[in-house]
Amino acid sequence: MNGHTYEIALTLGVVSPLLSFWILVFWGPRLGKPTAGWTAVVLGMGVPLLCATYVLVGWLDAINNHNAAELTAKAVRYHWADLGAVPVTIGVKLDSLTVAMYFMVAFIAFWIFFFSVGYMAGHSDEVDHQSKYSRFFAYLSLFGFSMLGLVVSSSLLFLFIFWELVGLCSYLLIGYYFDRPYASRAAIKAFITNRVGDFGFLIGLMLVYFHLQTLDLDQAAAKFAEQYAAGTGIFGSSYTLFGWSLATIMGVGLFCGAMGKSAQFPLHVWLPDAMAGPTPVSALIHAATMVTAGVYLVARVFRLMTPDALMFVATIGCLTLFLMALIAIVQTDIKKCLAYSTLSQLGYMIFGMGCGAWIAALFHLITHAFFKAMLFLGSGQVIEGCHHEQDMRHMGGLRTKMPVTCWTFFVGVLAISGAGIAGTQMGLGGFFSKDEILAVAYARAFEWDDYRKHEAHESHDVHAQSEPGAPATGQLAGTKGRRDEGACDTTAAGPRAILVSDPPAAHARPVPHGEFGKASIFKRIQSLPKWMFYLALCTAYVTPFYMTRCWWMTFMGKPRDEHVHRHAHESPLMYIPLVVLAVGTFVAVYFRPLIADASTAATAAPLVLATDGHVHTAALTAAHDWLKFGVGGAFIVGFIVAIAIYARGLSTAERLKRAAGPIHALLEHKYFFDEVYDLVWVKGCILLAKVCRFIDTWFVDLIFNILASATERFAAFSGLILDNQGVDGIVNGVADTSLMVSDAVRGPQTGRIRHYVLFAAGVGTVAIVLVLLYGSGSTESVAAVATPAIH
Amino acid sequence: MIGLTHYLFVAAVLFASGLFTMMTKRNAIGILIGVELVLNSANVNLVAFDRYLGPGRLDGQITALFVIVLAAAEAALAVGICINVYKNLSTVDVDSATQLQG
Repeated sequence: MNGHTYEIALTLGVVSPLLSFWILVFWGPRLGKPTAGWTAVVLGMGVPLLCATYVLVGWLDAINNHNAAELTAKAVRYHWADLGAVPVTIGVKLDSLTVAMYFMVAFIAFWIFFFSVGYMAGHSDEVDHQSKYSRFFAYLSLFGFSMLGLVVSSSLLFLFIFWELVGLCSYLLIGYYFDRPYASRAAIKAFITNRVGDFGFLIGLMLVYFHLQTLDLDQAAAKFAEQYAAGTGIFGSSYTLFGWSLATIMGVGLFCGAMGKSAQFPLHVWLPDAMAGPTPVSALIHAATMVTAGVYLVARVFRLMTPDALMFVATIGCLTLFLMALIAIVQTDIKKCLAYSTLSQLGYMIFGMGCGAWIAALFHLITHAFFKAMLFLGSGQVIEGCHHEQDMRHMGGLRTKMPVTCWTFFVGVLAISGAGIAGTQMGLGGFFSKDEILAVAYARAFEWDDYRKHEAHESHDVHAQSEPGAPATGQLAGTKGRRDEGACDTTAAGPRAILVSDPPAAHARPVPHGEFGKASIFKRIQSLPKWMFYLALCTAYVTPFYMTRCWWMTFMGKPRDEHVHRHAHESPLMYIPLVVLAVGTFVAVYFRPLIADASTAATAAPLVLATDGHVHTAALTAAHDWLKFGVGGAFIVGFIVAIAIYARGLSTAERLKRAAGPIHALLEHKYFFDEVYDLVWVKGCILLAKVCRFIDTWFVDLIFNILASATERFAAFSGLILDNQGVDGIVNGVADTSLMVSDAVRGPQTGRIRHYVLFAAGVGTVAIVLVLLYGSGSTESVAAVATPAIH
Repeated sequence: MIGLTHYLFVAAVLFASGLFTMMTKRNAIGILIGVELVLNSANVNLVAFDRYLGPGRLDGQITALFVIVLAAAEAALAVGICINVYKNLSTVDVDSATQLQG
């Protein structure tokens, strides 16, 4: 099969929701209540789902035929623009990770769109009934476009553009009930918190642009490796910040974007508030897809991460997963409880990424997307059925009214808790993925030093034997075939950790000797602090507890609010997606080989650890068996404890709450993050503004006021005196004078001849008289001349 | 014996008559006639002075001839103007020719 067909299919799937958005924006209100929704379902996500299915089937076939890497290599890049000397290309990143993510997004989004039609049907839009209904689906379609675009982007720049677009859609959909103040506040909070993260992302992007001279993901990774080997470019800089090299800053900067979008500590504050949006939005954007974009980003730029940057990633992930899980225990709002559980699970993914569990983290992303979407849709069903009651203390006993919701929700609880039977291949998605993250964390925390010594030694031997130029990283790469074998070989293949360093041949480029070679890496990668592993393990026990608590408070026990209970109902339009996603939760485990393939096809990373690789110590095998029981058993422990507390209503919980006192208060106030942020940032901002205002009023304005009044005075002088009296005086004087003169001159000029004649005669007479009186000389001469003639 | 004084007296009378005619007439032709009288009084003076003050010399007489020629030309021109005025205004009353007055 031609690879370009897949690229076209993927592009078609990206463009189709945009078309749906276009239609709904312009003709949505005219399409009316159910039609607009179905348009979004069919055009907005139906078409992408078909495309995704087509590509997925074809791709699995290609992997089996071992020509997937070839298709990846042949993917077309179109030249889009030049940024300085750096060409920006646009294209579809065609690899297993894209295919897996694309299918996951399209599949889950399709069923959530479907669910939304049912959810929004019973919605009374108090502002503008028609247009708001279609607006919701328009935004959902736009989100579909952005998210799918993000997944297929081959360039960091386009990834960033779609990244911002999903942020915009998130903002629009959180603020869907914009007439309610808390919703619009939550939307603004989400947007601004994301800006903080995206600022870091931009810094990372600029460093990539400036030092690696490319924005293409693959080329950037290749350049990064090249510069690492040569010690030039970004590695040639001696600049440090907080003890981080420039390369580390680049990785941390890019990760900051992920921190914002994936709501990692300390930028997690927006996600719980984002629950102000309609529940399908929470399921789609704030649980299954958009918030996991951060993990996806880290996966994509994994090759640009230095060991220091990865350690930072792991630390942030670890803090998030633990702190957020504790908050989830005390939440009473069903959606908030799920939101904190999402935060905790996102923490697991980020933590996994930081540990090097690239495959496991992405695997957890996929499985989490399925069960968390289902849990949120279940909560949406509950909220809708209970007439927008979200407080679990008013629920209880809903299993009789909503059996389908109750049991699908329970499947979700099992999945997120990582329920499974150790030693067998039976278990739900979360069992395999979380188990693998913990195994890798364990390997990094306890076995790493031994492993490092061992491998460094072996690597040295290989170096000695191999010809110069032979790839030093290739010797352990023969595990690719094994990773393709089966979905569940996490447990079947036993606990093994491996450094998967790809054969550079897969990237069709010559690799400098020693590039990311084991010896050099092992010198740099430290083992994980042990507390991180313990925190992650503890949280694995906390998760089943709060999830069971949430489920039990909602569905089991006795109804606590008769009014809510009496009117509760569920509708088929909404529980069909629940059932589909519940099945998906079981099927999601089959995504693992696809992601494992992506790790070889797309990641020549310095550090990718997976459980199904090369066995290196017997100790880890034993430890991993123990771990598996730990994770599998965590569910039982959490479940029993939760039921023990909540079986008889809320009285036991109330007693515990009083006993816990300050700890409970700390958790209930979410460690006072909102308060501290309010104090530091909001109040700080206001204080800064006040200081600025003071400076402005008393210094800047003062100068300006002096200048202004001086100008005013000068203007008054020049305008009123100089101009009005001086210049105008001259001009007016000239005019007045000429007017006066002409008036005077005009009088005698009557135009009557006789007057002129009279005047001339008068003048002549006067002249003669004057001559006769004073001009005696001439008169005499005349007389003298005349006289002789007379005589 | 008729002397220079008599000629000058006639000329003065002619001049005064002409001047008076120019001042009092509203008819353009009348004014022209007044102008002719004034010119001819000047001619009388010129010839008289020539005869009595510079005998044997022809300066005054030639000047008088020159004035006559000029007067003829002037009359032709002025009558032309009068005809045009009459054509436009159907009258030769100079007081009614006020079109060019501001």
